[in-house]
Amino acid sequence: METTSKSLVKSEARLAYLLLVPSFIILIMIAFYPLGSVFVNSVTNKRFASSQKTEFVGLKNYKKLLGFKVMVLPPVIDDATGKQKFDPETGDAVWESPLDVLPTEPVRYKELSQFSFMGAQYVIGATDPDFLQAVGDTVGFTILSVFIETVLGLAVALVLNSAFKGRGFMRMVMLIPWAIPTAVSSRMWEWMFASNRTGFFNILLDKIGINNGQFAFLVESSSQLWVMIAIDVWKTTPFMALLILAGLQMIPRQIYEAAYVDGANKLRQFWSMTLPMLRATLAVALVFRTLDALRVFDVFQIVFGANRYSMASFAYYQLVDNKLMGYSSASSVVIFLLIFIFDFIYIKMIGGVDSDA
Amino acid sequence: MHKPYSGRPLLRILFWILIVYIFIHMTFPFLWAINSSLKSEGQLQMTPGTMVPRDPDTMKVSLYLRNYAAVFRNKTFMRGILNSFVVAGSVTLLSLLFGSFAAFAMGKLRYRGKTPSMYIILSMTMFPQVSVLTGLYAVIRVLGIPATLSMILTYMLMTLPFTIWVLTSFFRGLPTSLLQAAQIDGATPFQSFYQILLPLTAPALVTTGLLAFIQAWNEYLFALTFTSIQPSARTVPVAIALFTGEVSKQEPFGEIMAAAVIVTVPLLVLVMIFQRKIIAGLVQGAVKY
Repeated sequence: METTSKSLVKSEARLAYLLLVPSFIILIMIAFYPLGSVFVNSVTNKRFASSQKTEFVGLKNYKKLLGFKVMVLPPVIDDATGKQKFDPETGDAVWESPLDVLPTEPVRYKELSQFSFMGAQYVIGATDPDFLQAVGDTVGFTILSVFIETVLGLAVALVLNSAFKGRGFMRMVMLIPWAIPTAVSSRMWEWMFASNRTGFFNILLDKIGINNGQFAFLVESSSQLWVMIAIDVWKTTPFMALLILAGLQMIPRQIYEAAYVDGANKLRQFWSMTLPMLRATLAVALVFRTLDALRVFDVFQIVFGANRYSMASFAYYQLVDNKLMGYSSASSVVIFLLIFIFDFIYIKMIGGVDSDA
Repeated sequence: MHKPYSGRPLLRILFWILIVYIFIHMTFPFLWAINSSLKSEGQLQMTPGTMVPRDPDTMKVSLYLRNYAAVFRNKTFMRGILNSFVVAGSVTLLSLLFGSFAAFAMGKLRYRGKTPSMYIILSMTMFPQVSVLTGLYAVIRVLGIPATLSMILTYMLMTLPFTIWVLTSFFRGLPTSLLQAAQIDGATPFQSFYQILLPLTAPALVTTGLLAFIQAWNEYLFALTFTSIQPSARTVPVAIALFTGEVSKQEPFGEIMAAAVIVTVPLLVLVMIFQRKIIAGLVQGAVKY
């Protein structure tokens, strides 16, 4: 008995390796060199489409991408009173300009943002405020949109999993947003968010009487991220919903019958049976959605161009407009590390993915 | 149990409200695209915009069909639909074939290095497409791979890890006792894989296949780059993005929307055909807990 089970394990392992080979060959073929060169280029000053000689620059690219300083802004003193000056119109306290406070040597720090804390005013300066802003925006975008998508996707999946007339039709309808190429759907939404009353949302606001129908959704920095989240949630909720729906289909009906006999109500069934059994599906869906959201490119590039970046569109413009291949690669490695951290947390949190069944 | 049916009518109404909400939420931008696709340039610029295309002077409903005519006459676009089907179809089939192999190994077989292999596969998709683009392009040029084939190969970088991970989670969900029972009956592990486990994961296979297909169908950046020197291989998103106005240099927004509507239809037909495969309770007959 002992020997047969051992040889069974051995033949199982042999089969496993055999089955993994095709996927690994394909992935190595298409991923090995491109991914490797991203790492290598990130420590050089390589330029894109240029004959300039490439040199090793160590971590310089990373330093420039991530360098930031927090400094105190001293108050501007009014000569007459000897106290801090106040703006006569707004009544706000006046502080020294960040330009005078932030260091310029050996590299120039530019203002990223300001905040006040315990009565003092601080400025955050960065060597590349655009990138840090892109990181903040993309992470915020990711957390919010993945959260909303998951909740909506779960709700949609639960609804479409119950028996009702027209279920097949609804399942088809549900996939419409996912089926339209992002390159096109971004334009659709851009049009709906137009800054005058040709755009649907301004027509709507105008009709309700909230606004005069001239709100520039895509230009106002207060609404820009929300617009992106709205588009992304609409576009990818079907992805979540369909995956969760498939997960629901895999749960055997009998256990619900048993629970019903035992007197568990629907809510109780959902919390203690459906959700735990969906754990693996949810984990995979979350991992891939987060990964996609952190790499978001098309929507940002099409709707905002170089006005506001996602991390990936930042990497794109550094490469294509500025020809800074090394710098762009370094930003890609930072994105990689961020994604890795996110996924690691998920997998540890939800478990189930790499634990043995 | 008190009054078991008292909550039912209310619940039913809520349920249908939810369905109507989902319907509107999912379709409205698409309906707006249909609306826009039936408007002329002048009608598109009317303020306030109208819910159906209307004549600017008389405000009567007036549909403008020239956008659709222009799109159907556009050879690159029509060819693009075919190209997209070939590329996305091949990517899906290959991903499902190799993906289900790998997923079976990772989900049900015992071997050393399981966790690292899962992470290596996942890490392939952690870089933004932009950053691997130049490297991929270099590889493809050196190997002299034609545009269509290079799209098929490179899209696997996105779809294969996804397929493998999703299917692995589904294989895990199937009871190991099923596999053991088959082995006791004398089936080799591979036989029990394709005769027993694979049919059981049919809903997951169809779902994953659809998601991967559409992912490949939508891909834009790689397609734009790889077809730049071979326009006949352009896929739908690239063809649409490169639309130029018939009369002026102005962007033909109505035509873009008409194209968006046209490309969505075959996908919906595809979904309609396959969604029947995502049938409830396919598993329940075979699985006994």
